[in-house]
Amino acid sequence: MDKKTVTTIAYLSRIALDEGNEDKITADLENIIKFVDQLDNANVDGIEPLTNPLEKKAQTREDKVTAENRKDTFLDRAPKSNEDYFLVPRVVE
Amino acid sequence: MSIQYKSIKNLTSMLQNKEISYKELINETFTLIESKMDLNAFITLNKDMAIEKATLLDSKKNDSLLAGIPIAQKDLFCTKDLRTTCGSNMLSSFIPPYSATVISNLENAGCISVGKTNMDEFAMGSSNETSFYGNVENPWGKNLVPGGSSGGSASAVSSGIVPAATGTDTGGSIRQPASLCGITGLKPTYGRISRWGMIAFASSLDQAGPMARTAEDCAILLNEMCSHDNKDTTSLNEHIPDFTKDIDQPIKGMKIGIVKEFDLSQLDNEVVKVFEESKKHYESLGAEFIEISLPNISLSVPTYYVVAPAECSSNLSRFDGVKFGKRCDDPKNLEDLYIRTRSEGFGDEVKRRILIGSYVLSAGFYDAYYKKAQQVRRLIKNDFDEAFLKVDVLMSPTTRGPAFEAGSKGSDPIQMYLEDLFTIPANLAGLPALSIPNGFVDNKPIGLQLIGNFLEENKLLKFAHNFQKTTDFHLKTPSGENI
Amino acid sequence: MSWETVIGLEIHVQLSTNSKLFSGGSTGFGAEPNTHVDLIDMGLPGVLPVANREAFYKAIRFGLATNAEINQTSSFDRKNYFYPDLPKGYQITQMAMPIVGKGSIKIDVDGSEKIINITRAHLEEDAGKSIHDLFDGETGVDLNRAGTPLLEIVSEPEISNAKEAVAYFKAVRQLVTFLDICDGNMAQGSMRCDVNVSIKKQEDEKLGTRAEIKNINSFKFIERAINFEIDRQIRIIESGESVVQETRLYDSVKNETRSMRSKEEANDYRYFPCPDLLPVVISDNEFNDIKNNLPELPDEKEKRYMSEANLEEAEAKIISSSKTMANMFEDACSKTDDSKLVANWLVGDVSALLNKDNIDIEESKLSSNNFATLIERISDKTISGKIAKSVLEEVWESGHDVDNIIKDKGLVQIQDESVLEEIAQRIINDNPSQVGAYKGGKDKLFGFFVGQVMKETQGKANPKSVNDILKNLLDS
Repeated sequence: MDKKTVTTIAYLSRIALDEGNEDKITADLENIIKFVDQLDNANVDGIEPLTNPLEKKAQTREDKVTAENRKDTFLDRAPKSNEDYFLVPRVVE
Repeated sequence: MSIQYKSIKNLTSMLQNKEISYKELINETFTLIESKMDLNAFITLNKDMAIEKATLLDSKKNDSLLAGIPIAQKDLFCTKDLRTTCGSNMLSSFIPPYSATVISNLENAGCISVGKTNMDEFAMGSSNETSFYGNVENPWGKNLVPGGSSGGSASAVSSGIVPAATGTDTGGSIRQPASLCGITGLKPTYGRISRWGMIAFASSLDQAGPMARTAEDCAILLNEMCSHDNKDTTSLNEHIPDFTKDIDQPIKGMKIGIVKEFDLSQLDNEVVKVFEESKKHYESLGAEFIEISLPNISLSVPTYYVVAPAECSSNLSRFDGVKFGKRCDDPKNLEDLYIRTRSEGFGDEVKRRILIGSYVLSAGFYDAYYKKAQQVRRLIKNDFDEAFLKVDVLMSPTTRGPAFEAGSKGSDPIQMYLEDLFTIPANLAGLPALSIPNGFVDNKPIGLQLIGNFLEENKLLKFAHNFQKTTDFHLKTPSGENI
Repeated sequence: MSWETVIGLEIHVQLSTNSKLFSGGSTGFGAEPNTHVDLIDMGLPGVLPVANREAFYKAIRFGLATNAEINQTSSFDRKNYFYPDLPKGYQITQMAMPIVGKGSIKIDVDGSEKIINITRAHLEEDAGKSIHDLFDGETGVDLNRAGTPLLEIVSEPEISNAKEAVAYFKAVRQLVTFLDICDGNMAQGSMRCDVNVSIKKQEDEKLGTRAEIKNINSFKFIERAINFEIDRQIRIIESGESVVQETRLYDSVKNETRSMRSKEEANDYRYFPCPDLLPVVISDNEFNDIKNNLPELPDEKEKRYMSEANLEEAEAKIISSSKTMANMFEDACSKTDDSKLVANWLVGDVSALLNKDNIDIEESKLSSNNFATLIERISDKTISGKIAKSVLEEVWESGHDVDNIIKDKGLVQIQDESVLEEIAQRIINDNPSQVGAYKGGKDKLFGFFVGQVMKETQGKANPKSVNDILKNLLDS
């Protein structure tokens, strides 16, 4: 795991590594990856991945509107908003 | 008469016999909480609401077993209009507009939520040292960690200030702190308790559960915590038994599996001794022991440290400073807002796991890590399935040792990850498991883990209750006296 | 040098469910910002998605209508990226096991048919809306749309030019509206598409590097964007450079596409199975039920109109080309025995008005009800065909009720023959010289008398009655 990879992952995760912790975190990540590399020892040929311990089918819902209007609560509790919208710095497309 | 160290059962009978009023009980509880602030077990208290509810209970007759029982809620459960931080700076001012199903279930049963307990940030840790709100003290010794991530809940119950608390367990976060604090903690079958309103760490592993002084109290709580919830599609649509019903039944002739691959020779002699004594005790109760091989179980920790970070990296993407939670000051632009909010809002352990998760899911690594880990996960589950054809429960120490000092694990995260060696497999397979106090090492409590088959919490509770009826480890208190 | 264009479309169809794909939030369009937002749509900590079964049913209808493989067991994955209108930081979509697999659809380009293969159609959730131009220095986020079910229909790269792309889009739109799974309203964004364009030399096997133009929501813009992009890529390659694989945005004001570099950086979506959602299984019973209740499709309607209503092929084609038009035809036919009359009005006057305004029938103010009433009033002789034309024009402009217009303007046809006879006699009496000339052989003057009667009655006379009466009076 080189610095460039760490930089890419950090960007994908929107996390900044500063000078204080970059080396330490990079080293930790390297160790953790080395640790999980033990998985190489397993023979998993033909084994279906298990993504949830409940191997069941999903329960679904009927097509009904059940939500109430919570606009004011949501906007009041947001970091930045006006009377109608959540606000973020201007996005340029 | 002090209410400290009282079990739910004790308190219920005191309330019903009018030895104490609901309001007195809650007032006493807050007196205890306030006298133990140095434990740092709580992040937010719910005093006014709690007293109000208790006052209301005093004004009308109530037969519910849990009416008026003070409960500490892990700060990972959303509580309507009561701050919920998940141990993170990111949510230091987050006020949820809704409550978790498990909170509603307990409150509807009459429980009084007295406060929100400290925890490792987003439940990522095994010592409560990753909390933004500071370390939690283990009542059993100055500077000892309570374990994690449900460290505040364990400390609060262990110190006797509340009879019970809620916890969540993704890789051992109920059982490990229960072991380190000398209390009983149960992680039910995945899907038994609704995850609605539980702030997700790793969705396919997370499960809420009770932490209390006794297995019997855990059973009483579990009866109310479980429900089939149509807001959680992974919530089990299975019969929910009365978990207290068979708890007194003998375990004579039942079979306990000892996992061959759990290498106890690496553990401290004292720890092994305690474990061997518990085996003998169960033998004296009529249980039989069988050695069981779970060939893939040694890969549990690496499997977990792929699956859990992968899910967490995605689950924690919603903390972006846009709709709720923290936002950095004066963002220059959108990218700056994302990056600074998340860098300032998350602590180092959370960052590490998000980064690992992003890595194992990224193009080119998915098959080698994520997919492979999920394949190994199936192998592990298959091993368990086979084992439970032969035994009723599996038994192991809960932890590698008793509580350790804060800071003693050094800066290598893997040393901390190995804390959950014995607890992680049950989460990967979705199985119920509990920890009960079974002895002391250096005057510090230690726990015994029992893992059960799918949906067999009742069997686990029966094993635990039989043990507790005939031992007094769970009755010892940090202050030295027996209850 | 001769260049070949290769185009593939990803069409996002908003499914017309009442509630969202994973929440009980309303999908209604045009509400006040952030009022149709459930806890789940906010992506609040601790919330969990629960899939809306109706969305699967609607997706399956599309699959059946395109002869596609249907996966009765389908599952959801997460696509991870950050954007302000994506509340959870990931979109729930179907990557590994989509509900609809390979299928195909027939398109018509200037009268010749072509089959376009469809790779897959999968369910996913829509994002909210970012409002960039309303606030100084800030973007507003409205989450009303967040979580609306989308069916993303992915075509094979088999489309050869802009015209075909538009024809394909139109064919999909026609189908989804007939299937009643989407309202097809492009102005409201109910259908949008991403277009992948690449060019290659005719003799080359390998496809060229493609550019993806995001989020186009009109036929006109699809055509213009593709043509601009083809020119741009040819210019790049002919000047010796190479096309960059990237996402581009079509600017309809400047009529150009431009790079959206912001979306390109480290474009790794880290798809993985959504651990909150177990696979959804549609039972054989449910599947058969959908299959047996599939709405009538355009081809079937066309055939039925020809056999049952005796329409010409051309008429039947026009009428069955849009769900709205077909509905109007069927509604109006229930008010008259004369289906030919209905067809004539639709293919004639109504189509002429559509052409004049260059709009689709869905955009007009003429409702199916109003049109049916108009036909009924012609049929029961309340108004004449000529009056009907003026009524139609009025409805076209105002959208007012046909019966009210007839009543308010006093347009009811004069049926009482004695009234008409009286008027005709008066006109004959008032115009002796014209009567003389007519009787002397100037047959053409008959029209003059008809005109006078119509003028006197302000057009409300039944022309056939007027003819009969005048003939009777003049020729006797």
